[in-house]
Amino acid sequence: MLTSESVALPGGRTSRVLRGGIGPTVVWLHGPHGLRGHDPVVAELARRYSVIAPLSPGFADLAELDDIDSVHDLALHYDALFDALGLQAITLLGHSFGAMVAAEYAAHYPRRVAKLVLMSPFGLWRDDHPVADFFGVPYMTFDKLVWKSGKVSPEMSDPADEPNDPIEKQVAVAQALTTVAKFIWPIPDRGLRRRLPRVTAPTLVIFGADDAVIPPIYADEFAAAIRHARKAVIADAAHMVPYEQRAEVFTLLDAFLGDAGARSSAAMTGAHG
Amino acid sequence: MKFHWFHLMPYPYLPDNFKQKHRSVWVDLPAADIYDPIKGHQVYNDYLDQLEFAERAGFDGICVNEHHQNGYGLMPSPNLMAAALARRTSKAKLVVLGNSVALYDPAIRVAEEMAMLDVLSGGRLVSGFPVGTGMDTAFCYGANPATLRDKYREGVELIVKAWKTRRPFAFNGKYTKLRYVNPWPVPIQTPHPPIWIPGGGSIETWEWCVKNDFLYAYLSYWGYESGRPVIDGFWETVSRLGGEINPYRAGFLQFVGVAENDAEAERLYAEPAEYFYNRCFHISPEFYNPPGYASIATIRKGVNSQVVKASQHLRTASVKWKHLIDDGVIIAGSPQTIVDRLNDMADKLNVGHVLLLCHFGNMKNDTVYYNTTRFAREVIPKLRHRFSEYEDRWWPKSPLTDVQKPAALSTAAE
Repeated sequence: MLTSESVALPGGRTSRVLRGGIGPTVVWLHGPHGLRGHDPVVAELARRYSVIAPLSPGFADLAELDDIDSVHDLALHYDALFDALGLQAITLLGHSFGAMVAAEYAAHYPRRVAKLVLMSPFGLWRDDHPVADFFGVPYMTFDKLVWKSGKVSPEMSDPADEPNDPIEKQVAVAQALTTVAKFIWPIPDRGLRRRLPRVTAPTLVIFGADDAVIPPIYADEFAAAIRHARKAVIADAAHMVPYEQRAEVFTLLDAFLGDAGARSSAAMTGAHG
Repeated sequence: MKFHWFHLMPYPYLPDNFKQKHRSVWVDLPAADIYDPIKGHQVYNDYLDQLEFAERAGFDGICVNEHHQNGYGLMPSPNLMAAALARRTSKAKLVVLGNSVALYDPAIRVAEEMAMLDVLSGGRLVSGFPVGTGMDTAFCYGANPATLRDKYREGVELIVKAWKTRRPFAFNGKYTKLRYVNPWPVPIQTPHPPIWIPGGGSIETWEWCVKNDFLYAYLSYWGYESGRPVIDGFWETVSRLGGEINPYRAGFLQFVGVAENDAEAERLYAEPAEYFYNRCFHISPEFYNPPGYASIATIRKGVNSQVVKASQHLRTASVKWKHLIDDGVIIAGSPQTIVDRLNDMADKLNVGHVLLLCHFGNMKNDTVYYNTTRFAREVIPKLRHRFSEYEDRWWPKSPLTDVQKPAALSTAAE
């Protein structure tokens, strides 16, 4: 069972965090679809670890982005959050936009990240293999772009996670995508390639072989730019790879994280409830 | 009431199967496949002739606007068109509607060019500052939609301050930082040319216009009946903020086709109208609405969803003249029909500035002149008196009475 709490940050800001499970602590940074109470990947993490899943600033209220102009500000935001939660030697996992943020964090604060897992990360660009225009795809083909099956997984559409009001549904999507746009529009390249060599954590890069948003050749790009990285390209999966091939992804995670999670000591007493 | 002749400058050679063959008229339509610059030479010159003719016919303003990467409107720089018009006209006000301020770094460039136009034209400029469409700003110019409106408002604030101050100052904005703001030239009009804000249905824009005393122009392509919720929202905002309900603080755009009767109107205007709605307006909806372009408050108000709905409908449906007439999108028919409908519009919208599309789609030159002439002779005189009891504070006040004419070409050559 996951619980939601509000964590106080310096300057009067707050961050909403979902947490649950027991065991070594891992931090999950969600992708553009946000953080649902019934998120199947977060739930699976909670079966093995003590999972901390912050909601990205902006997703619940765009005003939270007023003072977060760049990926550098985002890294500062997460550093303040991890301080407030008393986290050290962090095991940091992220998907899509969240994976880009995780990579930025690990490059900004290399000494603070023990292990890094990047699933379908944004953040790099090659002219010969352009990342799809995430925002310019025709509405009706969006699910075809991100899901291998072309349709949203039923697990991802728990009515309990969705606002009932159609306008509020539209607002939720607008806030999520506006937040992502702020950091990847119009080309998802904010100079991460220059910073990736700073990452010292052992890193696992996971891509879906059929990712139509970020071609899986980017697994090579990330793996080559990060000192201690290995990559895995998973068949029969697209941009939503952790949701599409969960068992295979978790087999990889189990092997990669091993007992490393245990090394990431989360001093829960430091957390602000 | 004042009447302005608005040119969108569409490309008139989009092929018949355009809608089937192309995703969108805007953003990613390959110029190599469609645009012929030799034909473009004639198109620009014809269109400028038409705008100049509108002055002679008796229109109050002639209007140009800014769009990028499309076959819908060929004016990436309306200022270039206004500069050409400034030399060949002397009475009509130049309504540049306008420059998408957030696309210029620094925005002071807009203050400079607008001032050049005001000086060149002898104080005849109306300076329009649109946010710009999602297509133009976010997709064509790569502007970040999450910060676009904030940057836009800051840019307008900078321009207005520069025009009012007319002495060097430092500007420490979030998006623009300038140690020396001191644009030359400065406009003839003081403190500055009237500022018009062409808007969609963004509710923050209403408030912003009222607080700054800017004119709000709703450029709807769906006729005045469907434009009512937006204009009503604007007037409610004016009341709420204690502003004067003066019709001249608002503008509205309307397609018109004047003819002898309904049958002739259909014969003359059906083809260009269907061309406009089926080809020029064939826009992929996701280009309309990049995330962040519509504010959360505007989404909650549900105003913009109408435009998206309409454009989604248009993508599949073939728009016919009958629908355009029945739905009040286009006003066409005898001069009396047009007068009656525009009177009805004035009653319902309470708008003093009417922006007219007498040219649309692939309309032929002689049809444009016919439409323009009949509107000026047979419609304008019957509506001119409307709202005469109000002072128009959103219009160039005292342009030079003796606007210098270009020297004759033969003289200049000697």
